[in-house]
Amino acid sequence: MAHILLVEDSPEVSLSVREILASVGHTVEEAASGKEGLKRLRAGKFDAIVSDIWMPEMDGIALLKEIRGAGNEIPVVVISGGAPNAPLTYTAPLAATFGANIVIYKPFEKAELLKAIDSVLAD
Amino acid sequence: MTTSAAAAFDTDAPALREFDRLTAQALLKAMPSAAVVLDAAGTLIAHNVPAVDLLQTHVLAVVGKPIEGPFRIMAERARRMTGGDAPASFEHAVGNSWYHIVTYPVRAREDGPALQIIAAADISPQKHAEFEIRESEARLEEATRIAQLGTYKLQWDTEAVQWSPHMYVIHGLSPDTFPATPESYLELVHPEDRELYEGYRRNQFEGKALHGAEYRIVRKGAVRWLRLDGRVLFDADGEPYASFGTCQDITEGKQREQELKNLLRRNAILYEALDASPIGVAVVTTEGPRPEVFYVNAEFERLTGYKTYSLAKRSFAALQAEDDRGEWENVFRALATSSGGSFELKCLRRDGTSFLANLQVAPVRDHPGRDATVFVFNIRDITEDRQRAELLLQSQKMEALGQLSGGVAHEINNLLQPVLALSELGQDLIDSDPAKVRKYFEVIASSGRKARDVVRQVLTFARRDVPQLAAYPIAVLVSDAINLLHSGLSPGTRLNVTIDADGAHAVVNPTQVSQVVLNLVKNAADAMHGAGTVDVALMLADLDQAAAAALSLQPGRWITLRVIDRGCGMDTYTLSRVFEPFFTTKLAGKGTGLGLSVAYSIVMGWGGLLKLESEVDKGTTAMVYIPAASAP
Repeated sequence: MAHILLVEDSPEVSLSVREILASVGHTVEEAASGKEGLKRLRAGKFDAIVSDIWMPEMDGIALLKEIRGAGNEIPVVVISGGAPNAPLTYTAPLAATFGANIVIYKPFEKAELLKAIDSVLAD
Repeated sequence: MTTSAAAAFDTDAPALREFDRLTAQALLKAMPSAAVVLDAAGTLIAHNVPAVDLLQTHVLAVVGKPIEGPFRIMAERARRMTGGDAPASFEHAVGNSWYHIVTYPVRAREDGPALQIIAAADISPQKHAEFEIRESEARLEEATRIAQLGTYKLQWDTEAVQWSPHMYVIHGLSPDTFPATPESYLELVHPEDRELYEGYRRNQFEGKALHGAEYRIVRKGAVRWLRLDGRVLFDADGEPYASFGTCQDITEGKQREQELKNLLRRNAILYEALDASPIGVAVVTTEGPRPEVFYVNAEFERLTGYKTYSLAKRSFAALQAEDDRGEWENVFRALATSSGGSFELKCLRRDGTSFLANLQVAPVRDHPGRDATVFVFNIRDITEDRQRAELLLQSQKMEALGQLSGGVAHEINNLLQPVLALSELGQDLIDSDPAKVRKYFEVIASSGRKARDVVRQVLTFARRDVPQLAAYPIAVLVSDAINLLHSGLSPGTRLNVTIDADGAHAVVNPTQVSQVVLNLVKNAADAMHGAGTVDVALMLADLDQAAAAALSLQPGRWITLRVIDRGCGMDTYTLSRVFEPFFTTKLAGKGTGLGLSVAYSIVMGWGGLLKLESEVDKGTTAMVYIPAASAP
């Protein structure tokens, strides 16, 4: 089982994602912004990151840039609130560009997230 | 007239005694002039044939009777002149005729009676010619005086120059100090025109007449323009001997001519400029029974296909499209009321096609206070503009729709996430961990409520019906809204409320007032991350001209609602976009990005103004201006 850093500003979304991950035995550390996520990443040791995009202080794209810029190859699953065809979702393709391993769209079901986690951990 | 025939009489010669009567008769008969012989008493003794007409002019004069008529007047005049003892000679008019009169006192014998011979030679033709000359000379003099003409004459052989008095006036000289000679004259001529003037003189010497020969002189330091018209005089042998002519000061005329030239040039430039204008220009007069086109420029012609003259005849009837008469009526109404305006109308071209035109009409007020009778029309083809604007509007609509749907989708997706995930997880835990399931349900319910709020906000924003507005005591509404708010704010947020607008009324909608207060205060609290003091102040403000102009508001009494936070503030980019729907900087689930746009559109609906001032890390001030109204 993996130790996962969850970066998400909405407490409700964070709770639901944490519960999905915990239900299969992953351990989760939560951060409410990119900035906080970066701090926790430096302090701890994680197998993967699950990150939102649109967050205050430091958004998911900036967080990705920091991580990949520092040469860190940790697997990242981006969870996006945008619909694939709406203008705001430009951040989702952007996330892939900046090194997200997988982007999945909210609202997702338990299996979808777990499948994504499994696939990035397997790589 | 000679009288030597009478002087040849030798009255002493005895041979003549008998002869003299006959001689006298013969002499009288031979004289071509009318002649009479009178005695000392004035009795007509004899007359010749030419005298008959004169004798009969007045009353019938009869030999042997006292003389009557013109001869009597002549005799008396001669007597007055000489006392009757000496010959007299004078000119005398009888009616329209003139006579040269010679009278002689005659005594045929020493003891004979004293007689008087009166001879009257008709000199009417000479006299009339003389009068004519004198009269025409006087007329010429008068005419040159009136026309301010100077006259000159140059005798070629002697180079003698004769100037009329006005010639001296024209040249600013006096006959006493200026000896007019061809050489001295050349000195007066403007140096640049001397060659020209010499040319005129050479032409004259070649026998040519001068017509309107213009040149400049320097008169007392000032340049004057002169004009010469002259001709050459020839003697009986056809040899030229003198030049003669008139001279005129045409300086004023020249100045007027120059002014006219300038005016024409300016006119031409204006016409060229108008023709270069990318806007169609027409000048219309309403002096006649219907508006008449006075001028159209090149662009107008290009747009409509009509030139000035072809439109002048038909007026604007030619441009009116059948299906757009109404707007044209408005144009004519503007003309009739001397006002202007901007009109959008369909314009017919000469070839029958049409275009959408923006027509701006402006009255030309040449007499302030009087109705304008001249109007300038500016016309533009806005067919393409309109199409472009529609496309732009369409694309803006699509962009806004995209932003709106994207924003709503983002919010709802985030709220659906816990609903979907926790309901799925909860099903597995119903028996094993009911406490956890209960917690899941709480989160699901709270997410559902939030989703409901989002949908409501979207509906509020999208709603097009106008809410009922009425005059309310604004202080009461704001207090109520703040009381409702308190419970919804995080415990760390303190409100410092000042309400100083007692009795002030505003035409608003109470629900909208609480929406505005709620949105602004929540934003302020969020900017401080739920910890700090938000100042809320409701006050009255009397805006003077300058203060009102700075805000683009009408001067007068306004109600101001100020919401101040000392939070994170906004940069210029954010500040420029805050009123856009779904523009948000807030955490997911905490803001829809609709709050400020909703507040903005509500305040605008009241005829008010919502204005934000912000500085990064210092805080933000939201100012709402609401027009004060009288109590209902």
